[in-house]
Order: sequence, then structure tokens, then C-alpha cells
Amino acid sequence: MKYFRMFLLALLGCVTAYLLFLVQPGESSRKDGRVVITYWEKWNGEDAAAMQQVVNDFNNTVGKQKGIYVRYLSMSNVDQKTLVATAAGVPPDVAGLWNTQVAQFAEINALEPLDDLAKAHGITADYYKPVLWEGCRYKGHLWALVSSCGSQALYYNKLLFARKAAALRKAGLDPNRPPRTLDELDRYAAVLDEYETLPNGFRRLKQSGFLPMEPGWYLAYIGYWFGAPIYDPQTDRILLTDPRMVKAFDWIRGYSLRLGKDSLSEFRSGFGTFNSTQNPFIARTVAMELQGPWMTSTFEKYRPAMNHGKYPRSLERSLSPTQRQENCEWGVAPFPSAVPGLNDVTFTNFDVLMIPRGVKHKKEAFEFIAFVNSQAETEKLNILNCQDSPLRQVSRHFFEVHPNPYIAVFERLMAGPHAYGVPPCPIWPEVGAELDNATQRVSLLEASPAQALRDAQERVDEKYREYRERQRARRGSQG
Amino acid sequence: MTDPTATDSRTTTTRRTTARARRRPHPERWFAFVGLLFISIGFILPFVWMLSTSLKTLDKAMELPPHLIPHPVVVRNYATVLQRGELNFPLLTHNTLVVSILSVLGTTLSSAIAAYGFAKIRFKGRSALFGIMLATMMVPFPVLMVPLFSIFRWIGDHTPIQMLGTLRPLWIPAWFGSAFSIFLLRQFFLTIPDELSEAACLDGCSDWRIFWQIIVPLSRPALAVVALFTFLGAWNDFLGPLVYIQDRQQYTLSLGLEAFQSQHGGTEWNLLMAASVLVLLPVIVLFFLAQRTFIEGIATTGGKG
Amino acid sequence: MTRKEARQLVRGLTFLSPWIGGFLAFTLVPIVLAFYYSLCDYSLLQSPVLIGLSNYRALMGDPIFWKSLINTLIYAAIALPAGMLVSLGLAILLNQRTLGQPLFRTILFIPSLVPTVASAMLWLWLFNTKLGLINTLLATAPMQALLGALNTVLHALHLPRIETPIGWLTDPAWALPSLAIMSLWGVGYTVVIYLAGLQDVPRSLIEAAEIDGAGAWQRLRHVTLPMLSPVIFFNLIMAIIGTLQAFAIPYIMTGGGPARATYFYTMYLYDNAFRYLKMGYACSMAWIQFLLVVLLSALAFWSSKRWVHYQGQ
Repeated sequence: MKYFRMFLLALLGCVTAYLLFLVQPGESSRKDGRVVITYWEKWNGEDAAAMQQVVNDFNNTVGKQKGIYVRYLSMSNVDQKTLVATAAGVPPDVAGLWNTQVAQFAEINALEPLDDLAKAHGITADYYKPVLWEGCRYKGHLWALVSSCGSQALYYNKLLFARKAAALRKAGLDPNRPPRTLDELDRYAAVLDEYETLPNGFRRLKQSGFLPMEPGWYLAYIGYWFGAPIYDPQTDRILLTDPRMVKAFDWIRGYSLRLGKDSLSEFRSGFGTFNSTQNPFIARTVAMELQGPWMTSTFEKYRPAMNHGKYPRSLERSLSPTQRQENCEWGVAPFPSAVPGLNDVTFTNFDVLMIPRGVKHKKEAFEFIAFVNSQAETEKLNILNCQDSPLRQVSRHFFEVHPNPYIAVFERLMAGPHAYGVPPCPIWPEVGAELDNATQRVSLLEASPAQALRDAQERVDEKYREYRERQRARRGSQG
Repeated sequence: MTDPTATDSRTTTTRRTTARARRRPHPERWFAFVGLLFISIGFILPFVWMLSTSLKTLDKAMELPPHLIPHPVVVRNYATVLQRGELNFPLLTHNTLVVSILSVLGTTLSSAIAAYGFAKIRFKGRSALFGIMLATMMVPFPVLMVPLFSIFRWIGDHTPIQMLGTLRPLWIPAWFGSAFSIFLLRQFFLTIPDELSEAACLDGCSDWRIFWQIIVPLSRPALAVVALFTFLGAWNDFLGPLVYIQDRQQYTLSLGLEAFQSQHGGTEWNLLMAASVLVLLPVIVLFFLAQRTFIEGIATTGGKG
Repeated sequence: MTRKEARQLVRGLTFLSPWIGGFLAFTLVPIVLAFYYSLCDYSLLQSPVLIGLSNYRALMGDPIFWKSLINTLIYAAIALPAGMLVSLGLAILLNQRTLGQPLFRTILFIPSLVPTVASAMLWLWLFNTKLGLINTLLATAPMQALLGALNTVLHALHLPRIETPIGWLTDPAWALPSLAIMSLWGVGYTVVIYLAGLQDVPRSLIEAAEIDGAGAWQRLRHVTLPMLSPVIFFNLIMAIIGTLQAFAIPYIMTGGGPARATYFYTMYLYDNAFRYLKMGYACSMAWIQFLLVVLLSALAFWSSKRWVHYQGQ
């Protein structure tokens, strides 16, 4: 026993000594006379690796010519860290944040405006897809540019549709195509649900056609599919109690009522992480989802057969676009809207590159941002990330090489007139939190849709009133 | 704290009672044994579950109904966790060790010095200062979090010591004593009779020598308790690193583990549990080594207000 | 002040100087600064602008502030007494000379060594509605029978039935109690402090009571507990401070959900400071929290005169 203790002690000592003195952070601050730009990004894993390639391209070409070197760091909670570092006077030169923060940061003077630099580099409204250009602007100025972006569409599992073909036909639905109206989607979903009853009477879901909460990442924006504006830029008002919003939340509630809220919770707790074979769409436990173009790469990683069901791999390079689509177990279509005549609605989410206020090398930092936004690099990055291109001009190469054979659907949606983004409201993070809370209350049947939205509206109105008052007072006091 | 001379008589009483007690049946002891047995199983079960999940494949970990014994046993999960580039276990451990060791050294030393002042030197305003110190224990960390940030920034701007962007905000404050440790050590120092130090230093030797040559050697168990508490506190701290650490190169284990979870949607359960076991392991080894000193130290210090 | 007193003062302050320095730099100045910020509109990125008591006024009308405060108080109302009872009970059991006592002590202490983040991960997994250990155990036949009996009793008392599987962290009604249950797992520290206190209860007193014919319960009630009351008091204060600051566990496990059922005070404070950039607002929340802790501690101190007995009194 005594020797064992001594052995443990010695071992602990050795390991400690090793970890304390021999492990060194892999610092790669290569300088050789170049201006070093720090770039903080939130991505991890393969997304981070994709951006690393773009950073390397920059350092080896434009960076080399112009004497700029980009130091790339990826981290979690990047928004809070950027904020705190900016407040502390040590901001990164380029920060990779989220689109929800453009207005928030711009309103409090945390960002450098990019109008002149962008113009000098030929990046204008004509260059970008409108929804993204608008999303990067706030109060007449440009504050950010896009790194990656994705629009949302309906994924449906053709295999599960085929398995239930008879039942679908009996319900008057065509098993060979996706739903075209929201009402149709609900009916498809109901046919595709499967459940068992436990001895104590609990209804356990085994498979479901569609769940608003899976993955539910963009549920706060579901109002767009019901024709709700959510925010009115003219009057600068947040419109949560709009009857169309209530209708949208009523639709969410419908699923909890039909399937049972406890059964839903139990079913969802059995889902694996998004990045695993237990992802419910990959595990074939959910037949339809509202998702972005990146899903293909997730399939490729965890169940490649989903992408290569029909043709032998050797033939794949010579397939036509239609054949590539047939090769997949799944299909993509615009997520149907609830309003007749309102077609091709999508919500566009994107990651932005911004320059925090007070950086030392603004011009050099923008060189890098502009480089990321050149057509060649942005297409390269977004092919690697399996996302959309932010630009109006999209090369044929992009469509041919993109891992998602349905990328044209996403591109069309994002370039269309009903592509919506995050409203340009400086307190949107708080509004988003309220909306998330409202979706949870509604889907847990804690409150009626009208009530939940009224509560949320009241709170954000009060917060927004207070916020504007203070900003006004501040401007007044500073002349 | 009671008069230390009482300890001896108490021990003898105990011994006598024990001898008498052996002769009589004690139903409450059996009750205690059975109760403890069940509770211990309850306490240990989560660990077994953790270990078992960490040795399963993801599919088996997600199986329904779940099985306690992993089959097949996947030891590779641990290797996977150790090799994951984004987790960088050696670097995380390095950072956590730097913070923990410096915090332990700083807290123990500075708290002992302050505790000596509170316990062994009589001066005007001592009890007022002691009261203030006890009150600081009640200040919630969030109150300090934000202003501390400004202070660290100020220090960086006005002195050559850069605070933000380094690990220093996590351990420098430890070198100025912690109220809880000072309190614990003061309670212990009070039990050391003044005659002892006076006898050792007949011709008025300095406080400093009394402190180093008499008090410190006599207080080893109490110092060990403070060191262990501080180590655990620093090793497990989450909010501090979350607020003050920006660079991934400076992440601590807690932060790294949380980042690992949030990237992976929180449900790559087998790897997550393996990572958790790895974080927990050094702490358990340390406790095993320090266990006797620890319980002894705690028992002699007590926690009386 | 005599010369001797002055010398003593210098001696004392010399030894206290590290602590005093730290107190000024890392406690007093931040507290004062926090109070100043709480009177300001301050976003970290813009300089603070004084706005008087406006933040405090806004807080009073902020339903999320009240929700988070009430959540925290409910959690404290469950976790605090439960933790006090369980830790005291365990300490008393552990103080019995039983078979395997050292082993039991170790087992009961180890959970408090588990890093917060690791224990959050572990319990997230244990509480999982579908795959978790707890619901798996509850689904077994004997547990179902037990629950059935319990439900009959609950039904007779007109209380809601317990339906399995329980959505520990997904059902808003269960989420707070679940976190409180989980907190019991980490009572080890408190148990150890009680154990230390129990060593100080003179055997002679217990023995005397035994000779007078007092049973185990009476000995506990009339001898052990009064002798232990200062330690109970100390643990009470520590528990008040700790529970009112709960952050890491709910932040990692539930993110405040479902539907803000576990949205704690400190989480809202953190969100205001770092997500909504309202540092002034966050600081006024922090000050209210400080006052609350002081108030509750003062209440405990006041009541302690009635039930805390110091030896030698």
C-alpha cells in the first residue's frame, strides 16, 4: 500500500512536470516584417479547416504581395470574447460573428464602417444577393461582409415516403413528390407518424413525419412562411402579435396537441447529436426537416449511402444533375408556405466578418475580408462548408462541384424576393430570446399562442423603448 | 474552537465508551450500516454509468433499453478524446495546472500570513477588520466580475503587467488571500497555545520567525486542507475562465470540456463521458493521496462560526 | 494610542497587508465600481453615462427579472433545506462506528470532487427522458409497483399523479426539482464539515444522557443537535451564499429552459452583461443579489440567537 502511494505520487509528479514545462502552446506568429492581422472565428472542426485553407491562400498570395499575415484563431463564445476584448482595448482585427449582431454592435459604435473600403474593392449592392447585402447594412452604412451563408428548405426522405406509399395514397397524397402547401405537409406528417403504447398508457413515438422543434433552429422565424413581417423597418416596430404570427405559433401548437407534449419530449430526448449517426434524419426517425444546404455533408460523414443509393461510385463523376438527385435517398424542395400564392419563402442565416472599432490595421484587415469575398475564394469556402454563395454571380463550376445536388434550389430561394433575414434591430438578441421562449411555451402547451406572443411583445416593447430613450439621451449629452 | 488541552481527555473518554459499547447491542449501528450501504450505491451508481458509457460505441450508448455492461468495450474512446485536435487535452491540462498550482501556492501562503495577523497579534481594529473579511465571503462573484474586468484592463494599461489575454486574472488575485481560507486557518492558529511560541522565542524573536518556525510546521494539516480546497476550486472553476479567457490556447479543462459539449450538440455521450473521466481522474488520485491529511485537517479545524 | 499599541498595530497590519491590498483592489474597488455602473447606462463598449436609479426602476418592472429571481428562490427553498437535512443525516450515519466506515466516507465525498462541468454532463445523461439511468430504473416492474402505490396515496390527497417516463429536464414542472435533486449529490463538503463538528461533541455528555435512559432519538435531539448548532449555522450561511449564485449547472445543462423554468438569477445577469451588452443593468442586478444575500444572512444571524448554542454558554 505504501509503495503504491509512493508510486502514484511519483507518477503524478512526473506527469505534472511534463505538462507544466514541456507542453507549449503551438504559437505560429510568423512575422518576417509583415503586418499581423488577428482573426477570431467561432467555427470548429471541418468548418475551421475550410477557413484555414482560405487563410493560407491569402497568406501565400495577396498577403505576401501586400505584406499582410493573418493569424487565425477559432474559439467558443466568440461574440462575448470579442466584446470583452474590444472593451478592454485589445480587439481582434477581424471578428467572425453572427448576422444577429450586425445591428446590435453597429448601434453602439463597436464596429468600423466599411462603405469606402468596400467601394474601393468593387464590392457593391450589385455584387451581393439582396438579402445578404441588406443584412450587412444598418442605418445606411455597411458594417460587415459575409463569410458563409445558407438558406432553408424542406428535406424529405424519399425512402420513408416510399415505405408508406400505400397509406399516403389512401390519404389522397402522392408518395413520389414532397408536399406543396403547409396543409399538405401536415397531412403527410400525420401519415408518416408511428407510435406504440406502453403498458402504463404512455404513447411512445417511434417515427415522425415532421416536428417543428426538430431541429427547430429557425423556429423563431417561422412567421415568414405565414406572411408575417416580424419587424417593420419603416416604423421601427417589432410585430410579434400580428395575426399571421399567431397563426404560425398556432401551427406549432398543433403538433404538440396531436402528438402529445410529453410524448414529443420523450421522443426528442432520444435523438442523437446533429453530428452523428443518431441524427434523427439520418437515423430515419424523422421524415421531413427544415434545414440548410450543409445537411449533405453530414449525411456524407455519417451515412454516405444516403447520398449514393442508385449508381455505382465509378459512374458518379459522369452523372447529370437529375441523376445526381436521383442518387440520393432524400430530396429538397422549398418549404411550403401557409399562404396561397406566397411561394419560395426562405430564411437566410449567415456568418459575418466585421472589424471592431479601434483596430490598428483596418485597411489590412479589409484586404483579408475582400479576399474572402472574391468570387473564387467565397465559392471555394462555401463548397468546402457545403453552404450557399453570397454573390449574385454564381459560376457553373459551383453548381457542378457543390456536394449538395440540390444546391440550385437553395440558391434560387436565397436570390428570390421572399428570402428574409434577421431584422435590423439593435436589440434582436433579446427579441430572439423572447421568441425562443415563446416557441417553447407554446410547444409545451404552457401558454396559448396569442398569450405567449402578447407577453413577448410587451417585454420587447418595454425593452426597446428603454433602449431608444437611452441612446437618444446619450447622443444628446455628447452633442 | 475548544481549548486544545481538552482533546486528550476527550480521547480517553471515547476509548472508555467504546469499550463499554462493545458489550451492548447497538441497533442504530446496523440501521446506519444498511442505510449507508444503500446511499453509497446511489452515490456510486452515476460513476459506474459514466465509466460504462465512456467505454461504449455511440450506437450502444444510445441503445434502448440501455445496458450497464459495455459490449464491445471500446477503450479507443479515450485515445480519440486525447487525440482530438480541437480538444487538445495536454494543452488544456497544462493551462489548468498552471492556474491551479499558482493559485494553491498563492492562496495558502498569503492566507496563512493574514490568518497569523488575525489570530496571533492583538491590535486596535482587529475585530472590525475580521468582520469585514467575513462579510466579503457574502459578495457574489457576479458583482465583481465586470468591474474586475475594468481593473485588469487598467492594470494592463498602467503597469507593465499585461492581464487580459493571459491566464493571470485567474491566479493573481489568489496571492492576496481568500476569506474562506483565512478564516479556516485563523480558527486553527487560535488552537496553538501562545506559550508555545513564547517559550520557543524567549528573547522576543520576530513574528516572521514565529510564523515560519512554529506556526507553519504545526499547521500542516490545516494548510493541506486549504491547499486542497483551493486546488479543487481552481481545477473546477468555470465562470472565471468563461469570462476572462479568450484565446483557445489558454483554455482550461472546464472550458475545453464545455466547448467540446457545445460543439457536439451535447450528445456524443461516449466521448463526452470519456473526457469527463479524464478530467476527474487526477482529482481522485490527488484525493486518494491526501485523504488522511485532509480528513484530519478538517476535523481539527472545524467549521465553527 | 500608546507606543505599544501603535507598535502592535504596525505588526498586525504588516501581516494583514497582503489581504488588505487584495481586499481593496479585488473586492472593495469592484463593489464600489459595480455600484457606480449600476447607476449608469453602460454597454462595455461605450463609456458609462450616469442615469440615476433608472436601472433599478426598470428592473422592478422587468418580468424576466422577477421570473429569474423567483426561480432562484424556489430552487433555494428546495435545495437548501434538502441539502441541510441530507448532509446532517449522512454525517450522523457516518459518525456511527459501522463496518466499512472509512470506505463510506470516501464514497460519499468523491462526488464533490467531480468538476462542475463533468457532473453536469453526467447528470444530463442520467436525467435523459428516454435513455437515462433514472427512467430506466423507474421503468422496472418493482419501481412501477412502488410508483403505483405512491400514486394511489397522491390521488387520495388530491395531488397530481406522477406519470412515467418523467421528463426530468424537459418538463417545466420537474426541471427545478431535478436540479435540486442533483445538488444533493454534491453534499460531501458539508458532510465533512458536520463530521468534524460531531467530533467536538463531548462523548461524556452523550454517555450521561444514555445512562439517564435517553434513547437514540432523544440523545440526538437534546444533546447532539444543540452541540452541533454552530456548525449547522455556519453551513446554513455557506449554503445561502452558494445557492443564490447557482450558475454553471443550469447554464450547461438546460440553458435556462424549458420555457425559462430553470432560468436563474445569475444567468439573466450574465446574459444582460455579455449578450445584451447592458453592463449597467447587470451591475444593478448584482447589487440586488448582494443585498439579498446580506439580508438573508442577517435573518439567519438574527434567528441564530434562538437556536444556536455555543459551548461554554
